[in-house]
Amino acid sequence: MSSISAILYREGTIRATNLTFVFWDLFYPLCYLLVFGVGVTAALGSPVSAPGVPYDSFFLAGVLGMASFGIASNSAWSFFMDRDNGIFFEMLTYPMSRAEYLFGKMLFNVGIGLTQAAITLSLGSLLLGIHVKINGLPVLLVAVAIGTAGWFFFYTIFALKIRRNDLFNSVTSVFYFVFLFASSMFYPLEPLPRWFRSIALANPITWQVDLLRYGSIGLGDPRRLVMEAVAFTLFVFACFAYAVRSLHQE
Amino acid sequence: MAEFALEAKTLVKVYRARRGALLRRPSDALRAVDDLSFRVPRGMIFGLLGPNGAGKTTLLKILSTLLAPTGGEARIEGFDVAAQPLEVRRRISVVLQETASELFLSVRDNLLVYARFQGLESAAAPRRAGELMELFGLTDEAERKVQDLSGGFRRRVQVAKAFLVRTPVLFLDEFSTGMDPILKRAVMDLLRKEASQGRTIVLTTQILSEAEELCDDILILHKGREIARGDLNALKLLSRGVNEVVMTFDRIPAGIEEEIARFQPVRSHVAGATIELTLKAEEGRALEIASQLAKRGHVLRVEIHGASLEDIFVELTQSA
Repeated sequence: MSSISAILYREGTIRATNLTFVFWDLFYPLCYLLVFGVGVTAALGSPVSAPGVPYDSFFLAGVLGMASFGIASNSAWSFFMDRDNGIFFEMLTYPMSRAEYLFGKMLFNVGIGLTQAAITLSLGSLLLGIHVKINGLPVLLVAVAIGTAGWFFFYTIFALKIRRNDLFNSVTSVFYFVFLFASSMFYPLEPLPRWFRSIALANPITWQVDLLRYGSIGLGDPRRLVMEAVAFTLFVFACFAYAVRSLHQE
Repeated sequence: MAEFALEAKTLVKVYRARRGALLRRPSDALRAVDDLSFRVPRGMIFGLLGPNGAGKTTLLKILSTLLAPTGGEARIEGFDVAAQPLEVRRRISVVLQETASELFLSVRDNLLVYARFQGLESAAAPRRAGELMELFGLTDEAERKVQDLSGGFRRRVQVAKAFLVRTPVLFLDEFSTGMDPILKRAVMDLLRKEASQGRTIVLTTQILSEAEELCDDILILHKGREIARGDLNALKLLSRGVNEVVMTFDRIPAGIEEEIARFQPVRSHVAGATIELTLKAEEGRALEIASQLAKRGHVLRVEIHGASLEDIFVELTQSA
């Protein structure tokens, strides 16, 4: 337990003393919602999303999913920084297990994910008048927490397997493009071509965003959501197991 | 309590050949540590020497639980590095070859974060961090982020951490890189003091004079195998009959290099008006050679002495 608190202390001190990290982790998603969400709502209106749902309300879940994804990607990139300056290997000699190391980092990410979700929900509600369903909040918060953890483990695998920073950056760029756009993050799947819809339905970020959308504005088919929740939980466990295995191979 | 701080029995590490894949390059199989056995009692400064690729860093990585051995076993304070890595990590501090520090943290926070990982009491940590910053000349840089410091200062931060807590075993890989002579001396004094209080120190270095001055016991590795082991005097016995001649002339005599080559030295070096020869010859013969060379010019200074650790190292690794 003391090693996990040491990891939280380390990550917290790094964030607290580097304000640009705080901006990227906590406020960037909100900026996205304010600029992109407001822009599309004003230009195209609700038909883009779902009948009777303003686009910024629809897009809120997408922003929260994007934040989970982005926080995880930033954290995984920090493996490169740590490896480049040697502290990564030195940390692996500290009195903690590999699983504790990953678990501690994941816990910190989840904390950041929940904090940014609270900020985005509060300011989204205050500035844009988005009506968030209070009874959906537990689902939303669980989806943010598990999603942030899952994407962190997912990215960790690649950060540990890939040795070159430039290659990792290329991989994350491709991931951003494929995962974010071939999903329900920016638009509903129903009007999409069949092949596109099939890809998006198999995309774990669609599973997470659908749960977030249900939690935030109550939109979604409960039967499909249950299946997506199960699939996403399995995805997270598989990523955790493989990330620990990858770390053992370091 | 285990009898030895470190113990290795028929330790082997083989890096398997890897086929190239999308994200990795192919590599050949390599036997980096080959059937090594040794024991190190508590409170000893133990030196691991060897040329590049000898297996020193691999051995250090195995002992510090970063790498699993392929065969044999290694124990730190009685705990198996492969089977009980967490117990081992609770008993070691490691300074790796690379400059390893938290770039985004200040010097002070680097020390405090390390203290937190090592379970140092929160009341004691700031005091101890302050003492070490003073000792390592880091007080003026305490609030600066490490990424804004030079390589030498970063190394100081890294080495200072190793003295923050008193783990029973301390591994130092090329600890003096980037240190000025005064700081290096201070750290060497500190290492001796820690060892006298029972801490076991394992160091690798390419600077053989450092090992000569510090180590109670030395293991010389070559291609993963032990080629010599013992204290400095025992190692010098291995190189009996090797003598070093240093002569300074008022100016270097013409054709002296050809003359030197005639005596077939193990190695020779001419710098300015000074020549240095390492000869596989008894003392009498070394004296004779020195007097022959002296006839070639006006000699200002002559020095003849037995083999240094560097001579032993060169001789052993070349003949292995």
